[in-house]
Amino acid sequence: MADDSLASHRRDPIKSSVGNVAAQRRRQNAATVGKERRESLVRAKRLCRVGATGEGDVLVEENHMMTDEEGFLLEDQTSSAVKELKSAVVYQGKGAMQKRVNALRELRRLLSKSEFPPVEAALKAGAIPLLVQCLSFGSPDEQLLEAAWCLTNIAAGKPEETKALLPALPLLIAHLGEKSSLPVAEQCAWALGNVAGEGEELRKVLLSQGALPPLARMVLPNKGSTVRTAAWALSNLIKGPDPKAATELIKVDGVLDAILRHLRKSDEELATEVAWVVVYLSALSNFATGVLVKSDALQPLVERLATSNSLQLLIPVLRSLGNLVAGDSHTTSTVLIPGHEITDGVIKVLVKCLKSDHRVLKKEASWVLSNIAAGSIEHKQLIYSSEAVPLLLRLLSTAPFDIRKEVAYVLGNLCVAPATGEGKPDLIKENLVSLVQRGCLSGFIDLVRSADIEAARLGLQFTELVLRGMPNGDGPKLVEQEDGIDAMERYQFHENEDLRNMANGLVDKYFGEDYGVNE
Amino acid sequence: MAMVVDYKHDSSFPYWTSIRRRFDPDSPFFSSGNLERELLAKQVALDLTEDERNQLEKMIDNDARGVFCPIVGCGARLTSLEDFEDHYIARHTASCSVCSRVYPTSRLLSIHVSEAHDSFFQAKVARGYAMYECLVEGCDLKFKNYKGRQQHLVDKHKFPTSFEFFNKAHPSKKKRLKNQQKRRTHKKDEEASSKMEVENETIDGLVSAVSKLSTSDSSPSNISFGRRNARGLTFVPRSIQAPREKK
Repeated sequence: MADDSLASHRRDPIKSSVGNVAAQRRRQNAATVGKERRESLVRAKRLCRVGATGEGDVLVEENHMMTDEEGFLLEDQTSSAVKELKSAVVYQGKGAMQKRVNALRELRRLLSKSEFPPVEAALKAGAIPLLVQCLSFGSPDEQLLEAAWCLTNIAAGKPEETKALLPALPLLIAHLGEKSSLPVAEQCAWALGNVAGEGEELRKVLLSQGALPPLARMVLPNKGSTVRTAAWALSNLIKGPDPKAATELIKVDGVLDAILRHLRKSDEELATEVAWVVVYLSALSNFATGVLVKSDALQPLVERLATSNSLQLLIPVLRSLGNLVAGDSHTTSTVLIPGHEITDGVIKVLVKCLKSDHRVLKKEASWVLSNIAAGSIEHKQLIYSSEAVPLLLRLLSTAPFDIRKEVAYVLGNLCVAPATGEGKPDLIKENLVSLVQRGCLSGFIDLVRSADIEAARLGLQFTELVLRGMPNGDGPKLVEQEDGIDAMERYQFHENEDLRNMANGLVDKYFGEDYGVNE
Repeated sequence: MAMVVDYKHDSSFPYWTSIRRRFDPDSPFFSSGNLERELLAKQVALDLTEDERNQLEKMIDNDARGVFCPIVGCGARLTSLEDFEDHYIARHTASCSVCSRVYPTSRLLSIHVSEAHDSFFQAKVARGYAMYECLVEGCDLKFKNYKGRQQHLVDKHKFPTSFEFFNKAHPSKKKRLKNQQKRRTHKKDEEASSKMEVENETIDGLVSAVSKLSTSDSSPSNISFGRRNARGLTFVPRSIQAPREKK
C-alpha cells in the first residue's frame, strides 16, 4: 500500500491516491499564501525583480501560485546555488571572478523569480556569510551588484529574514559612498531600505552605523533611479518613532535644497518618494517643520496638488501639507494668512481633494481643513465662504464613517470661536445657524448613535452647541425633530461613563419637566 | 493620537473647542494612506480583486480590531461600525406594548412591564414585599421601593444620580398633543373618550385604555426625563389584565 502510493506520487502527483490530502494541503497553502501575500503587500519593503541596469527575468509570472512540487524544486535549486557559490568563493584559480559572478547570478535569479523567494532555504544553506565575503572592498562591480541584489531580496520578507542581514550592514553602507558606481550604490541603498523598513531596532542599528549621511547625499543629484531609490530608503530610515534622524537629515548640507528642487521640478515618481521623506520630516521633527515652512515648502506642495492626478503622489503631498499645518501654529498664522495667494491656493487644492474619488484624499483633506478652521475668525470665514462647505455638508451625510468624522471636525470648528483659555468658548452664531439650516444636524445626530467613542463625543458636543446657540430657543425643537432625544437616551445603558454623563446632562438640561408644556 | 482639550466648566460638560490636531506618523489615522502607498508601489494593486482589496483595508483599519457593542451587558462583536445601527435596532429596542417605552434588553423591558403595568406587582409592594429588582444582571438584590433600588444603583453600581429607570420615555410632540387632547376630552365625557381610546379589541388595548384613564390628573401632559417618580396606578381588575410572563 505504502509503496503503491509512493510510486503514484512520483509519477503523477495530482492524480495520486493521496490526492485528497494533497488538495487539502494546497487549500491550506492557499490560505497561508493568502495571508502571507497580504502581509507582504502591506510591508514597507520592496522586492527587486528587475535590476538597476535593466536586467532581470522577463518571463516572471505574477500571481503564480506555486504547487508544492515547484516550491520544493526551487528550494533544492537554491541550496545547490549556495553550495556552488561557496565553492566559487573558495576557488582561487583561473577565472575565479567569473565563477563567482555566475554563482551569484544564479542565486539572484532564484531569489527574484517569484513573489515569495526561497529565502529560508538560502539562509539555511549559509548564504549570508558568503554574500558578505562577496561585498569585500575591491571586488568588481558586477560581483558587488549581484551580491547586494541577493541581500535585497533576502531582506524583503519576514522579520527574522531581514534581521539576518546584520553582518552585511557595514559593508552595504560603505558601498553607498561616492566612489561606488551608481548601480552598485543604488542596489545597496535598496537593501538598506528593506532593512530600515523592518522596524525601529534595525533603524537604530543603521543610524548608529552611519547610514544617514551617505544616503542623504544620494538624493542631491537632479535625477536618476538612484535618487529615487535613495529617497525611498531614507523615508524608511527616518520614520522613527525617534525624531532624531529626521532632524539630522534636514541639517545635512544641500538636502533641504534638493528636497524643494525635486518637489518643484522632478518627475512624479521621484517627487512621490521625496514627498514621503517630507511626510516623515514634518510629522516627527519640529525643527524640520519650522525649516520647511520658512523655506516656503508649502508652495511646491500646493502646486503639485493642483496639477497632478496621480494618487501615489497626491497622498504624501497632501499629508505633508497637513503635517506642516498641524505641527506648527506659525504655518496658519504667518504663512496661510487669509487674503494671501498661497492661502487661496491651499483652500482650492483641498477642495479639489474633497471632490476626488479617493477615500484617503477626502479624509486627510478634511483633516487639514479642520486644522485651518481651528485658526482665527478670519480663517473660519475664509473656509466658510469657500466651495468647501457644500461639499462637506454632502460628505457628512453620504461618506464612509472615517471621512464623516473629519468633516464633523471642520464644521464644528467653523461654529466655535478660537479658545481664549478661559471658560466656555464662544459660538459663532451666524455660522451655526446657517449650517443647521442647511441640514447638518442629522449627520451629527448620526454620529451620536455611533459605536465609536470619539464620533459620539463629537456628535454630543455639536448637539450642545445647537441646544445652546440656536436663537429663539429653537435648539431643542430641532434636535427633537432629528430624533436627537432618542439618540441621547440610548446612553442610559451605555458602558462609557463620560458619554453617559454628557448625554444625561443635555437631556436633563434641555428636555426637562418644562419642555414642550406651553405649546 | 489627537489631543483634544475640553473645558470642564459648569456641570462639567466638555464643550466643543476648536483646536489643531496633530498625529504621529504611526497613528492609526494614517494607516489607510500608508496601506495605499504600499499597494500602489508594488504595482499589484491592479491585480488585486475588489474582495482582496477590501479585506486588506479592513485588516488595517480600526474596524479590524472589531467593535464591541457598548451597551452594558451586551458585548456582541460587530464586524464594522456600519453594522452597529442594525444591531442596536435588532437587539436593543425592546418596546413595551402598553406604553411604547423602549428598553435596550428584554430583561429590562420585562422589569418595566411588571413595575409599571402590573397591578399585582403594585399590590405586593403595598403589602411590603421587596419587589423592585436591581437592574444589573446577576446582582439579584430586591428592594421594597423604587427609591431604594435607585439608591442601590447609584451607590453600588455607580449609576449616574440623574438616572431614572421609569419615565425614560419621551413622547414626541404629536403624541404629547394627542395626550393633552385626550385628557381634555376625557374631562368632558368619560364614557365617550374611553370608547374612542379603545383602538383594538385585544386585552392589551383595554388595559392600555384603562391605565391611561387612571393616571389622568392635572400635571403636565409630557413625562419629563429624570424628574418624576413613578405615579401610582389605580387598581385594575385582574380579569382585564393579560397574563405576563417574566423571563
